[in-house]
Amino acid sequence: MKILKLPKEKLDLFASVVQQFGELHAPVEQDGKFVFRRLTRWSDARLEYDRTLLPPKKYFLPPRETMFRYRPGEGFLPNTEGLDQRLILFGVHACDVYALNILDRVFAGKFPDPYYQARRKNIGIIGIDCTPDKHCFCRSMRADFVDHGFDLFFYDTGDYYQVLVGTALGDDMVLATGSVFEPEEAADIDDYKRRSWNKRRSFQLDVEIRDLPEIFEMEYQSEIWDDLGGRCLSCGSCSMVCPTCYCYDVVDDVELGSRGGNRTRAWDSCLFANHALVASGENFRGPRASRIKFRFYHKQRGFVAEYGRPSCVGCGRCITACPVSIDVVQVIDRLRRVQDVASR
Amino acid sequence: MGKPTVGIFGLTGCAGDQLVILNCEDQLLDLVALIDIRDFLMASSENRTDCPLDVALVEGAVLTNRDAERLRAIRQRSNLLVALGTCAVWGGVAALDRGADRSQLLEEVYGEAGHGYDSSHAQALREIVRVDLNITGCPIEKEHFLAAIAALLNGDTPVYPSYPVCTECRMQENNCLLMERGLPCCGPVTAAGCGARCPDLRVPCIGCRGPMADANPVSLLEVLEQKGFDRRQAAARLRTFAPEGVA
Repeated sequence: MKILKLPKEKLDLFASVVQQFGELHAPVEQDGKFVFRRLTRWSDARLEYDRTLLPPKKYFLPPRETMFRYRPGEGFLPNTEGLDQRLILFGVHACDVYALNILDRVFAGKFPDPYYQARRKNIGIIGIDCTPDKHCFCRSMRADFVDHGFDLFFYDTGDYYQVLVGTALGDDMVLATGSVFEPEEAADIDDYKRRSWNKRRSFQLDVEIRDLPEIFEMEYQSEIWDDLGGRCLSCGSCSMVCPTCYCYDVVDDVELGSRGGNRTRAWDSCLFANHALVASGENFRGPRASRIKFRFYHKQRGFVAEYGRPSCVGCGRCITACPVSIDVVQVIDRLRRVQDVASR
Repeated sequence: MGKPTVGIFGLTGCAGDQLVILNCEDQLLDLVALIDIRDFLMASSENRTDCPLDVALVEGAVLTNRDAERLRAIRQRSNLLVALGTCAVWGGVAALDRGADRSQLLEEVYGEAGHGYDSSHAQALREIVRVDLNITGCPIEKEHFLAAIAALLNGDTPVYPSYPVCTECRMQENNCLLMERGLPCCGPVTAAGCGARCPDLRVPCIGCRGPMADANPVSLLEVLEQKGFDRRQAAARLRTFAPEGVA
């Protein structure tokens, strides 16, 4: 991997050049929070931010999309609108890049999803390092650092950025900028190490994920699930803001007076009352408690069995988005706590 | 097979849902080509008031004996009965006083003459007759009405969101009015389908579409109480469009 450095005063220049590779999107402020949005001015970009309301997932798996149009006698016509648009997401945190790498395994693995894959191919990613806040536990989830899934990754080391080049596209961006990137020197290596060490020490949350699937297995009957079911509003906010929740619901929008229409999909959530409802009227997860339990089990246990790691990346979004303060870190702490068996 | 016969009716309500149908201007010609609207007092002075109907769409709540009789007669002549709008589905704003003494209310408003009125507490259609499909909303969404007709013509029923306004609001990446600004937003318990129209304009949801399936108002009440709202007032706000007992 190539490592270069970019003096901070040259960042504006780099940003203007990088636009030739795609429409530039970056975090911008929205009423005190942040959202990824198309930049109209580079000065709107906020590269020091805690977390965006929605993760970059929204670019690859939009909240709603038309998959294809169908007509009797004509078959179906896939929707390709917008799929070939080139975008550059500037300022993606490591946890969110990691989350995309996880989504790759779902949408570009055994069952390739052409919509996701087309967007993944056409959207460039420039990552940026960050400072953990009180809801971040990406280090615990091994998602505080990424070695792939980005074109460039920026580390703020004071007067300049250290830049990891991840792909040929990233390399092209560097080359297009001429000589503003400089080679690394020995002192820069120390700056990187210092930053890495400081970041490591600044996490306020720590979750032990080793043997967590086993603990979940043991606590399947725990009273905690009924407790959470009593509080959960089934609003799905946690799923909407989750960078790795990938469930979607497929619905046909039938046109008036025709048997044709549009097949659309929209984000779904296992918290919704009809998520496990099947045609016979049977609902495999009717009670709210069983639905929220499923969400935790799928993130921390089921995904481990299928893909070898939890799908949670520790971004903290679900903690900040839950209206009834259901906190994944507290739930795991409670599950891990040794309890007096007699009191059970 | 002939065109399905349809009747559109209003009980006690503001007629806003019937107006939404008339406002489907771009689709009205397609609609009348596809369905045979036989009885629609709001739109036509020539109606067949006794013919059998394939589909009856009924707006408004039942507030009088006359409403109840009309509704039973509509049910009798219709194959499918669709409740149109929050009043028909949940009782609506008129059901706010369901706990109160009706005769006392009538006397307060009309004096002695109040005793002669045909007036009872508001009821949702399904408290009187069997309802085959609910299209909620205050008023209903145009798209939901058209989707219902399109689906019914194919012998199918439309699919409406089973999740709350919160979900749509999050999809639109809005700041949360409840959590960030402490506003009494009913989004977490209210049926979606409006595209979070009010919160999208930074106005907290008042719950006009009625509760979603499996809503958890008790938990939301606790949150509102923690935010400093009076529990009774908060509960009254959550019940503005759907009284206890129906919801």
